[in-house]
Order: sequence, then structure tokens, then C-alpha cells
Amino acid sequence: MPKVTYVTPSGDEVVVNSDEPNLMQAAVTNQVEGILGDCGGVASCATCHVHIDPQWIDKVGPATDIEQGMLELEDNATDNSRLGCQVKLTPELDGLVVRVVGQ
Amino acid sequence: MPEHIDPFREDRQQSGVKTATAEGKEVPLVLRLQDIRKTCKDTKTFSNDNPMMIVLHSEAHVRNVRQLPIETDPPEHTDYRALVEPIYRKPQQPEYQAEMRKLVAGMVKNAAANGEVEVVREFAVPLQSRGLAQLLGLPQSEAEIWIGWGVHIFRDAQLGSKGSEVDKYIFSKYEEMQGSDGDDFFSILNRIDFRDRKLTMEEKHGYANMAFAGGRDTVINTISSILVYLAEHPEAIEFLREDEMHITTATEEFVRYVSPVTIISRTCPHATEVLGHQVEAGERIGLCWPSANRDETIFDNPDEVVLDRAPNPHVGFGFGAHNCLGQHQARLIVRSLLHEVCDQLDKIEFIEAVPEIEEESSYSRQVGYKSARIKFVS
Repeated sequence: MPKVTYVTPSGDEVVVNSDEPNLMQAAVTNQVEGILGDCGGVASCATCHVHIDPQWIDKVGPATDIEQGMLELEDNATDNSRLGCQVKLTPELDGLVVRVVGQ
Repeated sequence: MPEHIDPFREDRQQSGVKTATAEGKEVPLVLRLQDIRKTCKDTKTFSNDNPMMIVLHSEAHVRNVRQLPIETDPPEHTDYRALVEPIYRKPQQPEYQAEMRKLVAGMVKNAAANGEVEVVREFAVPLQSRGLAQLLGLPQSEAEIWIGWGVHIFRDAQLGSKGSEVDKYIFSKYEEMQGSDGDDFFSILNRIDFRDRKLTMEEKHGYANMAFAGGRDTVINTISSILVYLAEHPEAIEFLREDEMHITTATEEFVRYVSPVTIISRTCPHATEVLGHQVEAGERIGLCWPSANRDETIFDNPDEVVLDRAPNPHVGFGFGAHNCLGQHQARLIVRSLLHEVCDQLDKIEFIEAVPEIEEESSYSRQVGYKSARIKFVS
């Protein structure tokens, strides 16, 4: 069960141990501020936009083309932007830190 | 009728734009997914600040009020929307979801007990209306009034426009709820503060007009299309039962496939060019959601319903600041319906259906059904 730290838009650090399949669902289940997951995880709403901590970007990997299509139009998008619903939570991501962009 | 399923394919592939005639003008329709998203984001060039003109054809003959929040632009839109966002996000609360599930369960049970059902007027219209009563925090007896307003409150093919009747109803409810501390839509809007003042009656009217007109035919057409699809594809119900996540992905896929709104327009305050088409100041362009949702550069097998399609970056609920306010309610209704079909029914039998075809100057498109007879078999 990987441990993930979400830094919320208000600056709080929320640590979640979750067996949910991806970063969005783990956040929604634990009511992490700023992650809504409106579309349920199919990359159509961008309400789960996060910045991956630079130290973790290699392990998490870059956004897919479908995410890029959404992210290029998002305010506050950076090279480390991902849609949380598209980041699978695997054991290798234990300790991951992400910043929640929020609306 | 393949031409009614995706009448935009050729133009989408060739130029990304197709024109349609509306109010005596040629309106360029934007057809590709990423072009539509970019247009939605640029609210200064492509504005919503043009009351009664948000759909392809003017609604000035059926309403006289600016719908809120949709017919405004940021920064006003941001504040107008934030004011009612908590009401429209109620469907994300577990207690609300349980209540909706109970409502849908009862309706599916009754329909199964009755045998044949005409899904548009005997099932989808009542479900949308009763769901709306729950959303607006009003008693279910109110929904029985709204059921009589038909599929589209401005242009029901059988009943004609109910625009003035709806407006009369809206004014009477605000009057009735004066001074109320209730948690219904009308009481909340009567007492809420907006930028350190109360809302004007015109603003309250605009919010309520949107609440009743938006999400009406769209939800109804989506429900009838889903039920006909499930009747014609009995294996789909079994597939939905296999995995809880299939209900979520199928919901998004049905919204993509049905794309219940064909065109939402934007007005250009300044002359501009859209994909090679010159648009004069004050003229409009159209965002063509069903075309974007079949953009073959994004979606594999776009003409197929793929119930576990993921990712599925559709724009069936629009995109950007003005995306659908009622999307959470719509999703909950569809998810609840799919759950109850899986839980209660063996199958749905198809009897007969008459498609609803939207006829425009440059295309015809199926948007749902005029009527559809099916049998819920439990």
C-alpha cells in the first residue's frame, strides 16, 4: 500500500496510505482538498491536476498525449503536471509527494 | 442511418469546420476536439455574454431573461457560478447518492412490474423531473407539475413551448419562499448574498430558468438512448455487472456517444478568424460537441460504444469555465440507472423506437428518441 503525501493548495500536507488504483481515487477517498475527480477517472475533466515533486518525476513518468491535450490548456500547468487519475499507484511509488493544483 | 450518427466526419477530417445557417447568418461550427477546447478557454475572443443566443438558434421567443451563470463571461461568471456550485455539487455527497439510488430503484421496479414502458415520456421525463426535485431540495409533488412540461420546456414536439408557464411557476415559487429559511433552491437564492447584496429578481429568474431548461432534454435523450442500447445489446448488462468500474466508464462513454447537446454558440465581440472563416464583430461561432467526441485522432473506434473506454477525454459536458453545471447530477442519474438495471433486471427487450432527428441547414443528427417502447424483464 504506497504512502502518498499530497500538499494541498492551502499548504497542508495530507499523508494517505491507500489501496486505491490511482492518485485521484486515493485523494477523493481521503477527501484531499483540491482533487474532485468529477469524471471518475477517464481524463475528461482535469479536476485532479497535480504537480509531481521533481524528485519523483522520473519514477512517475511524463504525461501521456491524452493528458497533454488537457494540460496544455490548464492554468498552472508545468513540466511536472499530471492528471492524478492517470497515475497508477504501484509499490514503487511508496513515499511519493505531489502538489495539488486545485481550481 | 449512419449519416445521422456522425454527420460531421468528412468536414472534421478535411477542414475542421462546417457552417450552419442560423438567424440568417452562416455560423462556422468548430469540429475537432482540441480546437473546441482552445475556443472554450479563450472567453475574450469567444464570449458567452449574449443572452438568449447560447444555443444555435435564438431563444428570444421563448424566454426574456439571461440564463445564469452560463450567459456571462469571467470574471462575472466566476462569481455567479461559485454562488450555486454547492447546490449543483450535492450529487457528490453519499447521502444524496443513496437517495437518488432509492428513487431510481423504485422507478425500475415499477416499470418492470408494468411490463412494457414507453421510455421517453413514461420513464425518462419522470426520472429527470424527480431527480431535479431532489437536487433543488423541493418535495416530489413539485416534480409531478414539471413532468407535464414535456421533453424540452421550450420546444416539446407534442406540447409546444412551456416557456411562459415555467416563468410563471418560477416567479410564484420565489414569492412563496419569501422569508423562508428552507434549504430549497428558491429559499437559498432569495436570501443568499452576492457581492455584498441580494440577488435581483432578474438574476434569480435567470438561475431558475437555467435550472429548468438545462439538463432537461439532454438527460432525457441520454436515458432513452442508453435503455435502447441495452435492449439491443443484451451482453452489455452482463459486462457492466463484471466490475464496479464499468459503471463509471460506461457512464462517460454513453455521454460521449450520445453527446446530447449538438451545438453551443459563442459570440465574437471583435472580428476574428476561425479555421479560415472570417467572423465579423458581433457574429457567432458554434462548438460542435458530438463531432469533437468522435474525433478519430483522439478516440479509437469512435462510432462504437466501448463500455470500458479509458481514458475517454470527451467534451459531452462541455469544457472550461462554462462546462455543464448539472454534470454531477447527470452522472449520478446515469450511474444509478445502470446499477439498478444490473441489480434488478435479467434483460431489456426492445419493442420499437422512433428516433428524434435534429434537422439543421447543413446536417441532420439523431439526438435521442421521440418514443421508444421496451420491456424491463426482471
